[in-house]
Parts: sequence; structure tokens; C-alpha cells
Amino acid sequence: MLFVLNLDTGSLVDTLKVRDAKDVEEVVRAAIANEQPLEIIGHGSKRGIGHAMATNAVLDLSALNAVTSYEPNELIVTLQAGAPLADVLALIDAKNQQFAFEPMDTAPLLGTPALGTIGGMIAAGLAGPRRIRAGGARDHLLGAHAVSGFGDSFKTGGKVVKNVTGYDLCKLLAGSWGTLSVMTEVTLKVMPKPEAERTLLLRGLDDAAANKAMTAALGSPYDVSAAAHLPKSTFRTKTEGLGDLASDGESRTMLRLEGITSSAAHRAGSLRDLLAPFGAATLIEDAPSAALWATIRDVLPFAAGGALGAWPVWRIVCPPASGAALGTQLAGETGGEVIYDWGGGLIWAALPPKADAHAPAVRARAAAVGGHAMLIRAAEDVRRDVDVFHPQAPGIAALSERVRASFDPKTVLNRGRLRRGVGA
Amino acid sequence: MAIMMPASDQAVLARRAEIIAALRAIVPGEGVIDSAAEMRAYESDGLTAYRQPPMVVVLPDTTEQVSLILKYCAEQNIKVVPRGSGTSLSGGALPLEDGVLLGLGKFKRIREIDFDNRVVVTEPGVTNLAISQAVAHAGFYYAPDPSSQIACSIGGNVAENSGGVHCLKYGMTTNNVLGCEIVLMSGEILRIGGKGCENAGYDLMGVITGSEGLLGVITEVTVRILQKPETARALMVGFAQVEAAGECVARIIGAGIIPGGMEMMDKPAIHAAEAFVHAGYPLDVEALLIIELDGPKIEVDELIARVETIANACGSTTCQISTSEAERNLFWAGRKAAFPAVGRISPDYLCMDGTIPRGALPKALARIRELGEKYQLGCANVFHAGDGNLHPLILYDANKPGEIERAEAFGADILRACVEFGGVLTGEHGVGIEKRDLMPDMFTEIDLNQQQRLKCAFDSQGLLNPGKVFPTLHRCAELGRMHVHAGKLAFPDIPRF
Repeated sequence: MLFVLNLDTGSLVDTLKVRDAKDVEEVVRAAIANEQPLEIIGHGSKRGIGHAMATNAVLDLSALNAVTSYEPNELIVTLQAGAPLADVLALIDAKNQQFAFEPMDTAPLLGTPALGTIGGMIAAGLAGPRRIRAGGARDHLLGAHAVSGFGDSFKTGGKVVKNVTGYDLCKLLAGSWGTLSVMTEVTLKVMPKPEAERTLLLRGLDDAAANKAMTAALGSPYDVSAAAHLPKSTFRTKTEGLGDLASDGESRTMLRLEGITSSAAHRAGSLRDLLAPFGAATLIEDAPSAALWATIRDVLPFAAGGALGAWPVWRIVCPPASGAALGTQLAGETGGEVIYDWGGGLIWAALPPKADAHAPAVRARAAAVGGHAMLIRAAEDVRRDVDVFHPQAPGIAALSERVRASFDPKTVLNRGRLRRGVGA
Repeated sequence: MAIMMPASDQAVLARRAEIIAALRAIVPGEGVIDSAAEMRAYESDGLTAYRQPPMVVVLPDTTEQVSLILKYCAEQNIKVVPRGSGTSLSGGALPLEDGVLLGLGKFKRIREIDFDNRVVVTEPGVTNLAISQAVAHAGFYYAPDPSSQIACSIGGNVAENSGGVHCLKYGMTTNNVLGCEIVLMSGEILRIGGKGCENAGYDLMGVITGSEGLLGVITEVTVRILQKPETARALMVGFAQVEAAGECVARIIGAGIIPGGMEMMDKPAIHAAEAFVHAGYPLDVEALLIIELDGPKIEVDELIARVETIANACGSTTCQISTSEAERNLFWAGRKAAFPAVGRISPDYLCMDGTIPRGALPKALARIRELGEKYQLGCANVFHAGDGNLHPLILYDANKPGEIERAEAFGADILRACVEFGGVLTGEHGVGIEKRDLMPDMFTEIDLNQQQRLKCAFDSQGLLNPGKVFPTLHRCAELGRMHVHAGKLAFPDIPRF
């Protein structure tokens, strides 16, 4: 069989570091011909998410790392998929722009080196706190060139923000974990960074009251760009980025307002009045506010290097107003910890170690409110026995499989990453 | 008809009476329409240059009926064309001679308003504007606002991924839809997404949105709603050159300002609109910008001042700032009436819909002028300047021999130019039949085959809305065939680690 042993290095893993889209086509075509699945990586920073893949052939895109074009006035940037995320963020930051969906840095949670590529950012599609206002990676991917599991380069979308020409395959690529096609070049929307940010902090609310406060804030006209809640138990251990915020051991509910300075300040005042029934809010401005939201975005209270580093972590998406009931119940049942983002619509749950990572309880509770749960961090032996991605209703699962096969009929791309048992 | 539709299935046409009876068994009473006179209302959509009576019209009012109709048609190999309000500007709902026209007009109920989760669950036949009206009492609205919002249905908005003047800031339909109930051609009913921010698994909602009725029939939609901005004000700015107006747009965006709306009109469009609605537009300018800022009053006032400064620096010749709602609405009245206004100065017009990078605007307008001379036809341009979406309105007279053909050729050349300048064939109206045959100007055969393979995953018989979007139809078996390439086994050139 091909790729089993690299004669040059003696390594059992054969890593093919492609230089251009042609190389990608060639590797995928050979993989098809040899029925040899490929693991697709950028920097490999998220390889610990999903199921183990039964392959030792790695298609490495990290050398496709060029910035093809950046046009700040058009609000777009075109990049090769292997472009390092940190470099790209620095590039657009220099023009005072950003990816509005606040892509999460998974390194602290997973305990991996601080790396990651643009392709990985899109394939994972993990958006941060501003998801509720600005959308996710799927809303900012305007166009892509990719190589399908047929070994053919194709393009979808374009380099303009408004486009309905043909099916929007970008939506499928975002969040597909490399199972549909190998992206080689992508065009993303960038947005101006807000001039100012203000965060209102409420203290001492229980989960239910915090959920109500966040619902009131997000239903207000004050254009809240993020709403999160840290129950008091999450402050038992020190978390980087929170500083001495929780020295009183009370819970914190936080609401962010962004925009031009006068407006952010004005809306913060109006929102503080609106939320008066929930207590007197304190105000955090600009850099300390940004540090706080980075802490939420990257789920630092559950960091691999922290006190809960050995606990499995679930990422649960649900209707926002159902968040507190779901989170409180899960934490109570399992003795775990939860953090709420997206106004209650995203729950991070670190649960005490268990062979099944409490999957039956998590999945049943999430499904009961119309939500879904992904086991984003767990030891490899746990992931062997537990579905990492939320099992789907039979009809949706069958359609999803037909969609997948329409891109990759021989299942050569990341075989088994999304579904337990497929890769073995 | 200049565009070829799939050949009619004579075997199906021969069984018309039997098919109508079968549909009547599913949808009783007036829900099946088969008389030529009554079907006339359905023979065209917003692209009125094309007309075709369907074989039969069926108007179900439950998801189960939709499912039974599709299942029956799939079993009997009968084509189906879904239709919402019939406002498509690209012929997306053009019937087929041998096809069932499936109208969703009876799905008129809003099923749930959930303010806590900030969503509305609605049937697809509800109009875009009716959703905003249903939540207005609590200060909410549904953001995408296509200009046909009084008439167009939310199901059609999902099918077309409709935009509107405010989508630069608030996104298109795809950015504002969370879930749906959809019936596949097989009759299978699926629920996708819900009230959460994201769906599990592949983003099926994302690819269904904008699929122009080729993947399934939507029977319920969950949309997110937003709180209305506290206030809105507009500037109306005139420029002696189009280039200066383009520069002004670029500088506003460059300054980090995303207006609620930013529209441009060229001289012919300004004159037509002013003659129609008397909005007080300056007639001696080459380009007019209408820039709307929305949000809290303090923010709007400050941004208005910043935009005014930018406009002055770009050499604006006139700049008016609205001081009342009445005045703001007046600024918009001309722009919103631009299409009918052009209809007054020309017997007929074709409305095009390409998108270009914002910076390419001056050369795109220059090209349109050249093409107008070549085809000897006038053209007025309105432009969603903020997001590069251009709507050239080509003026012609259908009663003059050869003019419609010249107008269509002119339009096709404009869209080819959009692609040449780095843009796309359609920004918000959809491909439909109108731009179908131009798809190869933007996509290779490989690109289009991949899209059609996706279609096969939803509709393996190709019975749902065939003849739209794709210029060449392939059988799914043919598209799925794997061409094993040369069987190369080694990669001498690729670095290994």
C-alpha cells in the first residue's frame, strides 16, 4: 500500500507537503486510485477534535500560505488556505479590520501550540462571542477554490460581498472539518474594528436570572454584540484574563457594546438603566474588556493547563432562552462546570471525567430543547466510544451522507473524522 | 422564447387528465387549477418577458399535501416547479409545459413569535413585510428588505437568498435564517436547524438558501428578528463625476463606517426618478449617493457629520441631510421608485443584476456606456454602492423588431463585464433562466458539475425545477462517475516530511 512507510525519513506517517492546488489534485487523485484515505491538515492544531482517522497519509497545506490579495476598501481578503491565522489577523489589524465572527483560538482549551491556519479556522467554523450579532465563519466566507474528492479543483462563490450565483457551497465548506473538499484558497469578508468597546458587568446572578438579563439586553435596541455568564463556581480557580475580577467569588454576567465611542458609551448607559432590576452594573472599557471577551471566546476557565484541564468539555448550542435551565441541570447532574455565551445559546460544559463523558445526559438534555452537543475535548479512548459530533435524525443523516458523497464518493478526505467507526 | 427549456415529456402530457385527478385526490376542491384561463395568472413571474402555462397548478395548504404531491410526481416522473408569490426577477418560477406548478400561496400563517429567542417561525407564503409587521409592536423587525417586500414571500426569499438596500449592514436572507422544514422531491419531510444560532453537521440550511427551488420545497422557515434601530437619517450627495462618487463610497468604508444603506444613481436614473416622484434630486449631477445611517441618535448624528466631511473632501457638488422622517423618506422615494420611473420613460426595460468590486464602478459604468452605443440602447444605472451590486436598467421597445434581442445581448455583455472586472453574474436576483446560459462565463464545467452533483444528493431524478440555473443538464449517474486519473502512484516532486 502507498504511503505506509516514508523511505526518506523512516516515518510511519507519510506527510505530503503540497505547494499548490495542482499538488493537491495529484495527491487526491492518487489517493482515489489507491483507495488510500488522507488526513487533511494545516498546522494540525485541531487534530485532537473529532474521531481518529484510520490513515497514516497526511496532506499538509501549511506551505500554501500566501496572502493572494488584501483590499481593505473592498472589505475582502483572499488567502491561501495554509496562511497562518495569527499572521492574517496581524495583517488586517494593521488596517484596523477584523474577522467579525471572532474566530476561537482552540490552543488553550486543547493544550496545543498556539498555531492554526485560515483553512482550519473555516473548516472548524468555531465562532466567538460576536456570533450572535455578526454571524459565524459561514457568514464571512465569500468564495473558495477547493479540490474535491474527485481530485478536481473547483471554485464556488466569488470575491464580492453580495453574490447569489449558483449554489452557495461555501456554506457547506465552513464547518465541514475537511470532509468535503480540500480548500486551497479562500476569500473572506473583513469588517472595520469598532472604535470602542464597553462591557457592563452584573454580579451575583444565578444562571436563570443571568439568562433573563441577557435576554433583556439582546432584545433591547442597544445593539449588544456579546452576552456571557460565568457562574460563581467557575471562579474557584484562577483564570488567566479574568485577573482579579472574581476576587469576591460572585458570578459575573457580561454584556458588550461596540461602535463609535460616543455611541458605545451612550448605549452602555441606557442598557445599565434597563438592567437595573438585575443589580447595579459596573463598566469595563476597551483593553480590559477585550481581554475579558478573549477569555470567554477561548474558554480559558476550562483551559488544558488549568484545574479542569483533564475534564472533557462539551460545546452545546441551543435556543438562547433555554440555556440556563439546560446548563444548571447538566452541572447539577454531573457535578460539572458550565459557562454561557451567545446570551445562553452556547454552553461550554466541563464535566468530571467519565468513560462516556456523560454523553447520554448531555445529548438527551440538549436535544430536549432543540439543541445539539459536540464533545470538543476528550481523551482519545473516550472519543473511541462516544460520538464527538451530535448524532442526527435519520433523514438528515442520510441527506448529509449523500451531500458528503457528492463531493467525495470514495471517502478519501478525513475519513472517519465526523463519524465513529467509519475510519477504522 | 430565446431560452431553451428541457424538452417536454409527451408521455406525461398524454396522461394530463389522470395526473390532475391524482392531484385532486391529494388536494381537494379549488386547490387544483387546470383551466387555461385560470392558469394564466401563473404563466410568468417577475421576469415577464418569458411566459409558459403549466400543465396544472396545485395549491396545497399542508406539509403533508406537499409531501404527497412530490412523492406522486417523483413516482410518475413528473417535473415540478415551486412558486411563492411569483416576484422572481430571473424567471425562477417560470412554469414548464409538462410540469406541475406547486404554489405555496396558501401557507400564509405565522406559526410562532418567540421574542425571548428573537425568532419568528412562519409558513413560507407569508410576505417579507408581514413578518416585520407582526413583530413591530415590540420594536422588532426582519432585516432583509427586498424592494418587493410588500408582495414577495419569505419562502421565495429563502429560495433566492434575497437581499435589499440594507443588506450591507444586516446581511442577506442567508444571514438571517436559522432553520426550515423542507420537503424533498421524494416526499421526505426534513427539519433543518431551529432556534439555535448554528445547526449540527453540514450547513444544509446555508446551501438550501439561494438554491432557487432546485433542492426542495420549503414549508416552514425560522428567521431571526432584530430590534429596530432607534433612528435613521440620510444624506443625499451629488457629484459632477461618477469617479468622485465611487471614491466617496470607498472612503466611507475605509473610515470604518458601515451605513445602513448606500445607494448610487447615475444621471439617466436620477432624471427618470425625479420626473416621477419629484424628490428634489439635483439634475445637474452625474451621480447621486443616498447614504443612510441608522442606530442610536447620538451615533447617527456623529456619523452623519463624518460622512458629510468625507463627501466634501471628495468634491461633492450638493449635500443635503435629512432633518425629519418625511425628508428621509423623500430622499428614498426616488430611489425606491427607480424601476417604475424608468418604466415611464421607456416602453420596456430589462433590469440586470451583477456585482462588481466597489472599486471597479467607474470602469464598469464606462463599459456600459460603450455597450449602449454599440447596441444603440439607453441604460439607467442604480447601484447598491456599499456592496457593489449594480442594477443597469436597459431601455428598449418590445414592439420594435429586434430590440428585445439587442437588449438581451447588451445585458449579457454587461454581466460578462462584471465577471471580467472580478465580480459575479448576480448579486440578489438569482440565475433562474435569465442568466442560466451565462453560467459558463463564470464557472468551468468542473465547477458546474460539482454543483449539479449536490443537486443529485437532494433530487436524484432531476425533477425539481429543471431548466433553471444550469445551462446543461446531466444525469446523476453520469456526474457521479469517477474518472480515475492515470493511476500515478508516487509524487517525486512533492516534499515529504
